[in-house]
Amino acid sequence: MQISSHIGSQLVDLCSALLLLTCFAIVAQRRLSACVDLFALQSAFLVLTAALVAFLTGNHHIYIAAGLTGLIKVIIIPRVLKKVIERLNVKRELVMNVNVPAGLLICGALVMLAFFITQPIIPLGFLLTRDSLAIALAIVLIGFFTMIARQKAVSQLVGFLVMENGLFLGATAATYGMPLIVELGVFFDVLIAVLIAGIYTNRLQDAFDSVDTSHLTVLKE
Amino acid sequence: MLNLFLLLFAGYIAGLLLPLCCPAKPRIQNILAHGSAGLASGAGILLGVTGLFAPEPWTASVQSTLPFLTFAIRLDPLAALFVLTISLVGLAASIYALGYVTEFYGRASIAVLGSLFNGFLLSMTLVVIADNGFFFLIVWELMSLLSYFLVVTEHGKAEVRYAGLFYLIMTHVGTAFIILAFLIFFQGGGSFSFEAFRHPEQPLSEGMRTLVFLMVLIGFGTKAGIVPLHVWLPYAHPAAPSHISALMSGVMIKTAIYALVRVYFDFLGGQFPWWWGFVVLVIGAVSALLGVMYALMEHDLKSLLAYHSVENIGIILLGIGAGMIFQTFGLTEFAALGLLAGLYHTINHAMFKALLFLGAGSLLYATHTRNMEEYGGLLRRMPWTGVFFLIGAVSISALPPTNGFVSEWLVFQSLFLSFHLPTVLLKLMLPLAAAMLALTSVLALTCFAKAFGISFLALPRSSHARQAEEVPITMRIAMGMLAVVCVLLGLAPMVVVPMLDRVVAPFAGLSIEGKVLALDGWALAPVNVEFSSLSPMALALLLIALSALGLLLAVAFGGLVKQRYYKTWGCGINLTARMEYTATGFVQPIKRVFGAIYQPTVKLETELLKESRYFAKRRHFEFHIEPVFQKYLYDPVVAFFIGMAERLRVIQGGSLHLYLAYIFVTLIVLLLFAV
Repeated sequence: MQISSHIGSQLVDLCSALLLLTCFAIVAQRRLSACVDLFALQSAFLVLTAALVAFLTGNHHIYIAAGLTGLIKVIIIPRVLKKVIERLNVKRELVMNVNVPAGLLICGALVMLAFFITQPIIPLGFLLTRDSLAIALAIVLIGFFTMIARQKAVSQLVGFLVMENGLFLGATAATYGMPLIVELGVFFDVLIAVLIAGIYTNRLQDAFDSVDTSHLTVLKE
Repeated sequence: MLNLFLLLFAGYIAGLLLPLCCPAKPRIQNILAHGSAGLASGAGILLGVTGLFAPEPWTASVQSTLPFLTFAIRLDPLAALFVLTISLVGLAASIYALGYVTEFYGRASIAVLGSLFNGFLLSMTLVVIADNGFFFLIVWELMSLLSYFLVVTEHGKAEVRYAGLFYLIMTHVGTAFIILAFLIFFQGGGSFSFEAFRHPEQPLSEGMRTLVFLMVLIGFGTKAGIVPLHVWLPYAHPAAPSHISALMSGVMIKTAIYALVRVYFDFLGGQFPWWWGFVVLVIGAVSALLGVMYALMEHDLKSLLAYHSVENIGIILLGIGAGMIFQTFGLTEFAALGLLAGLYHTINHAMFKALLFLGAGSLLYATHTRNMEEYGGLLRRMPWTGVFFLIGAVSISALPPTNGFVSEWLVFQSLFLSFHLPTVLLKLMLPLAAAMLALTSVLALTCFAKAFGISFLALPRSSHARQAEEVPITMRIAMGMLAVVCVLLGLAPMVVVPMLDRVVAPFAGLSIEGKVLALDGWALAPVNVEFSSLSPMALALLLIALSALGLLLAVAFGGLVKQRYYKTWGCGINLTARMEYTATGFVQPIKRVFGAIYQPTVKLETELLKESRYFAKRRHFEFHIEPVFQKYLYDPVVAFFIGMAERLRVIQGGSLHLYLAYIFVTLIVLLLFAV
């Protein structure tokens, strides 16, 4: 029992690390469609993590959450985003607020920060997923940073979704997942957010002939 | 009683939903909405009367899933009195609306208007019977919001939107203070139920009680319209459709009076230092006087009435303030009298102010303007409206034999009783307040001499007035109903006083019915027959007898005069409307006398003929009075907030990334702090 739970914990940590790795890949990737693919990959890792936790702990409702994640984040949302990219004909992020090498360095710093912050909390936990909490926080911070660093609305959307993945991982890590009803609510919210952001991106394109959100400054009085 | 309450609730809810569910013609929506409202307020009248005479307060409650929130209601005599008042005015307004809202067909959604109307009436009723602080705040806010939406019915007009915004801000500031006061109560009792407010586990400290007093005074005072928090009334009341103005001015601001009495006499147990009563008294006197003075300068009939609400709230507070002072010094009989006088005037004001607003609405309906300078000669064209408006005007001017006279007389009496007080300062101040009330009454009479005379008498001043026609029958019925109530309330104090006594007795601890009513109820004799007494019925009979006597004498000495109809002699020239007194001209002497308060600016430009300087080609006259409170109290506050906002604008880059960065940095900093 001791050993199996140790191995389980290691496996969960491994999956979480893969999630973090895809984050870095997203930060380094300029091509938008590749960003979306990486996001889908990250979500797939998330499904794996959640399923693993469900298996190890016997909390079967996490299976449902994992299944929904797979459906919405691996299949539906990437498709919607691909369509948006196709329609808008924006392939690459040309100008960035922070360039790629600097961005990667900052993300490294953010990961360190996340571990530093969660250090005093983690020993208090008794769950086998507790180490993932630091990673979850790091993913949230990197997602947020992506939203700041990128100028195109689509990549900001990807940043937002990465944040959401981080939160999901955090919830799984800290409490073996939120109550199912909350999970359902969150999924619904994310789906709606993506739809709205998709529409918003289209409108942005129509109004400014670009999906560069820095054009929105002209709306200021 | 539960059945009556359920009937009332169901009626209003039906009126709320039915018109929205039926996408039919505005006519049907109108009948559905105001018909159910009429039925529900009929049930409300019965509920109020039964509640008033029930031996024990009736309670009911439904537990909610939220902590601290219980939908509890309690119908004690005080609540029942206000339910009765709200329902009476509500019934009149519903009947009136059947005819009045035809004006809005095609201009506004009748379904929305009618449904808001029902919601507004329901929320007001719930405010006065709520028995849980949390629930009270919810319905209080609901009442404010619904009335806001009703005010902005004609949101196409810029001034209506401004009025709505002004009202919304003022009422929310007021609510903030009320919430603070309730939270203080909550700390003492650990529960939001009013029972816990009444008997807290740990009694509130003296400082906290003072804080509650001030918060409640500011919070509810904003809604009631005490000076200097009255500025929203003259904006919001004219902007709303007239049956809504009648409800807002007649009963909504009275819910604040209800809440003041509830908190001071019920929650705080009627125990307070003398200066509380004194503050209420001073605010009352100032509101009464300034209210009527600003009313005099208004030529917009509905704004004029709105300022008169400020005045009457002042008179009510004079009664309540006197009651509070007497209570402090243990003179419970007089305290009960003061409170009774205040509440009597509360009901009376609800009736005649609603009547006057409905009258103003009829004028608006017939002439499509609110400007008095464009009225004139309407008595001949709209005789019913004219008579009802006159009854309302007589009531508000406190002339016998109407209700306004009786209640103002009682307020006077309670102020005169101040010679029993032990403090010299108060012995001096209460008669001074009485003197201010006397001045107020006289000015109110002047104001309504102007309002009635300019609007209804002489020749029409505009084509609007010339084309005016009498309003539909439903509107006349509603006004007639209120007019009858006004006269009855004045003639039959022996019915009203026992009712009010039941309300006041639990707070004062004794019944004064036997002392106030003398001669089997045919006369009023506050506390002491030798000191003063009055019989409104005898006064009315005397009035009739004297008029008959005058007529008789005239016939006896002059013989029967042959009637002859002819034009008024105008020194050989034809009379025109331009020769009449204008509303501005009528109040000119008062403007001169009180110039220090009005600070008027007058601009007169004359363009003379070239040939002779004795003949003017064109004259242009402008006249403004200084809006003192807005200029010296509100504008600086608004300027301060705008200034702060201007400074904060620096960080508003308008860039999405910048805002995200702000949030990000805040998050990181907070996380670092947390470690």
